[in-house]
Amino acid sequence: MPRSGVEVRSRAMPFIAVMVFLSWAGLSILGPQFAASPSPLDALIPPVMADTSTQAATENLTPAPRPGPSDYPDMGVSSRSLVWVVAQMHLFFAAFVLAVPLFVLVIEWIGFRSGDNRYDDMAHEFMKISMSAYSITALFGGTLAFALFLLYPHFMGYLMRVFDSQVLVYPILFFLESIFLYLYYYSWNRLSRGNAKWLHLTLGLVLNGVGTTLLVVANAWASFMMAPTGVDESGAVTGSIWEIIRGPLWNPLNLHRFIANIAFGGAVVGAYAAYKFLSAQSAADKAHYDWMGYTSNFIAILAFLPLPFAGYWLMAEIYAYSQQMGITAMGGILAWLFVVQAVLIGTILMAGNYYLWSGMSRIEGPPRYRGFTKYIAFVLVVCFLIWVTPHTLILTSGEMAALGGSHHKFLGPLGIMPAKNIAVNLMLVFTFLSFQLYRRADKVITVSWENRGNALMSAIYIIAVINIIFAGVYYGYFTNTVYKVGSSVIQVMSTLTVIVSGIVIDTLMFKNAGTLKARWGMVSDRSQYALFALPVAFTWLMALMGYVRSNVRTHWHVYSIMKDNSPDNFIPAIGHAGNMMTMVTVMFILMVLFIFWISSLDKSRIR
Amino acid sequence: MNKDNAMLVWVAAFLLSMVFFYALDLGVMGAQGLPLNFDLTPAQ
Repeated sequence: MPRSGVEVRSRAMPFIAVMVFLSWAGLSILGPQFAASPSPLDALIPPVMADTSTQAATENLTPAPRPGPSDYPDMGVSSRSLVWVVAQMHLFFAAFVLAVPLFVLVIEWIGFRSGDNRYDDMAHEFMKISMSAYSITALFGGTLAFALFLLYPHFMGYLMRVFDSQVLVYPILFFLESIFLYLYYYSWNRLSRGNAKWLHLTLGLVLNGVGTTLLVVANAWASFMMAPTGVDESGAVTGSIWEIIRGPLWNPLNLHRFIANIAFGGAVVGAYAAYKFLSAQSAADKAHYDWMGYTSNFIAILAFLPLPFAGYWLMAEIYAYSQQMGITAMGGILAWLFVVQAVLIGTILMAGNYYLWSGMSRIEGPPRYRGFTKYIAFVLVVCFLIWVTPHTLILTSGEMAALGGSHHKFLGPLGIMPAKNIAVNLMLVFTFLSFQLYRRADKVITVSWENRGNALMSAIYIIAVINIIFAGVYYGYFTNTVYKVGSSVIQVMSTLTVIVSGIVIDTLMFKNAGTLKARWGMVSDRSQYALFALPVAFTWLMALMGYVRSNVRTHWHVYSIMKDNSPDNFIPAIGHAGNMMTMVTVMFILMVLFIFWISSLDKSRIR
Repeated sequence: MNKDNAMLVWVAAFLLSMVFFYALDLGVMGAQGLPLNFDLTPAQ
């Protein structure tokens, strides 16, 4: 029976009061700078832990431990490999379960605002997949914690000492995450009407607030290991907990992981939609899962477009913190992995574009924009080839003699960053063009300024492309390095200008626009394989770049503070690293397929 | 819309875009303490 708004509000009051209390208490634990007044939970924490001020911290000037090789337990297998696998699996699943509620909330809100129940059904089904993965995330998280404490006891002891009571925030947040996740999922149908829906949306908002806080708390540990702050040269704690957390890499890492998680989550649920589409028996199911796949691809690629810029910021901060660390990543042995990265990102962009082009066949009527696709494909392929061109090759003396030197005539100019920057930005601009054409494919625009709007949009594309090429060629090859780095920001801003202006112009232009009928489900099976390619490439990419991020510390547990003296304190050969990344990728994909299978055992549809 | 107006619209759109991107380049380089250098002289 529907309840009145007053009744719902009165029922929601205790819930809101509890949330306000928890937020207040939680912020007090996070640090004194967050809280306006003491929290009642302070009484539960030992005095030295509750007071994380600079004065209290400086009294404890114990340096970081210096374990010798014999201090590391020997389990008969490589400790690093063991932790590598478990940590990567935990991160894959954690990224997925933290990301899905973010876009589910947006989809649910769109469904609520538009009154279209299909959005609500789809959001609910996305959550169903996420629920199956949640317990696996926790299992890998627990295993990782045990493995770290068992195999690296001195290092974990040091981290516990540095982060102190801050570590307790994580399990508290994890409990809250679990509570709100279950509340959000299991109350879906009960809180689906009227004001109750607002309460449900609020639950989703709180769930995402807790999940994102969980992410940034864990990121503080990783960024401290790379760029420690709040400690002196010996590793003794000298700063407040806030100084320890907010290291130079913390926010770049937060932004990068937040965006990447959304793209990754979108790609994985896209594979679920493709799996269900290919196995669907009825036209209605095919239509539903086709639409679900389209939405997933939309989320994945749209979140992916700004990701290189977040990565650029992270690398710029790494260089600013330590040039040595930056050069290790991009100029030393790890630099080769950036060529592999180019292959994987190229795969993602081409699969995403191909899926969009295939999707144009759903629209009734003559194809309006299909003619553009061959030109977009040409640009993507050329840019992809430039991006994967290495600067140097490992050559024998005979090969070098045949080549006339260590550099091929194309490798010199195309192997360096200015060429890559042009290629990456053009690939992003043309991928956005595919999106824009797809979105326009089923629209009949009625605004009076259609021609002027189209002229402006076309001019923005053309000038932006010229600007990107000019900045890359002129500043990249004809001036010195300071201009080269500075002009790459011009390229980024040009790409972002195209994306933002495209969204704004289209939003205004689609006002009162007619819509051609889309025949959902009438898409080729071939296009669904592109949806499978996306999560495979995304997972591999996460394994690859996660390895690079972690390995730039070389032989340090905590960079320049605590040395790694274990038998694994070296950068492994690229082949070994590649095998490890491939192994965790295959493991994750197999487990995801298991989750899809488990989810499909429940034959009842969400609604 | 007749042909003259269409030409005017396209010219205006290109001029507007060029001015915008020039201002963007100027602003972005200026924010980094770098001038827009068009004379092929390596920066010091």
